Amino acid sequence: MNDNEAEVISRCQQGDQDALKEIFDRYHRKVYRVAYGVVRQREDALDIVQEVFIKLFRSIKNFKGKSHFYTYLYRMVMNTAIDHTRKTKRIPSSTIDEDEGFQLSDDAEKRPDRILAHKELEERVKAAMEKLPPDQKAVLIFREVEGLSYQEIAEAMGCSIGTVMSRLHYGRVKMQEMLRDYVKGGKEG
Amino acid sequence: MNHRCSSVSKLLEKYFDQEVTDEEKRLVEGHLPDCPACRETLHSMERVRNLIKSPVEAAIEKESFPWVCQKIEREIRLKERPTVRESLRSWLDRTPLFTRRVLIPAVVALAILIFVAAPLLFKKSTSYPGPSVVEYVESQAYNVMVYELEDSKGTVIWLFEGPEKEISTS
Repeated sequence: MNDNEAEVISRCQQGDQDALKEIFDRYHRKVYRVAYGVVRQREDALDIVQEVFIKLFRSIKNFKGKSHFYTYLYRMVMNTAIDHTRKTKRIPSSTIDEDEGFQLSDDAEKRPDRILAHKELEERVKAAMEKLPPDQKAVLIFREVEGLSYQEIAEAMGCSIGTVMSRLHYGRVKMQEMLRDYVKGGKEG
Repeated sequence: MNHRCSSVSKLLEKYFDQEVTDEEKRLVEGHLPDCPACRETLHSMERVRNLIKSPVEAAIEKESFPWVCQKIEREIRLKERPTVRESLRSWLDRTPLFTRRVLIPAVVALAILIFVAAPLLFKKSTSYPGPSVVEYVESQAYNVMVYELEDSKGTVIWLFEGPEKEISTS
């Protein structure tokens, strides 16, 4: 945490909304990536982003600076996103929106059959992620989406590096198993 | 899988995550060209990573966030507007009369005052004031006494024939 960030956090702790906006500008993409990684649905991910920053504004006075601010924020996002998933679990998950999913880079990729294949793949990935225990899912997202180190993940999740490695290993094995058509055959990826 | 492959495969995940030491890195990279199984393991991890990551990157590219920030600020302002109960509590908190230092002695003093004053305030008079004598006339044979009752609701006339006998009329 540099001096500037410490100063912004301090102002935010005193209720300065401009400071919150500075934190938002700096971190909203990270927050969105983690939220989207968990829920894999645009509207829900945006709801989580909103909820996280409101929650942050209310609870930032509890941040004592003993850990990195971004790991504190990552933990908050992950908990909020997993809670959100639990709350919406009873509602049948909607299918992926038309514009969501894998990026279609060229015209050939935008053919209806390719779009359908991408949507199907994203549905499969989403279903596989939903079957993972929350801890394994969280570690996978922190590592694969955000590229955090084992140490950073351990700090964000409040566990040891050994636990991170174990969760990551079992999460990967399960994902490879559930998506073996795509992973082994290289249908996509 | 030979012995060397077995020891390297334990490092593959750490290697993939760039968590190996320089020495471990050299060991893995020296082994990979000769081992299709370890290369395939790495490819599988790479594909899973892409499957998880690509849709997230695609989604964020299409997203515009300024309106989200405005919505957050609006929500915070709305939630900051206090309710009547919160306003009252806030006023009570700010009023010096209700600080603990003042409130506790005040409550104790009030309790003592009530304890002392209550019997005086709520004590009922048990003595009947009785009628007041308006007129008293004595004679040799009879004595007459006229009483006026409370609030002038009636008049009592006692006629005494002697010390033992008396007749009352009203």
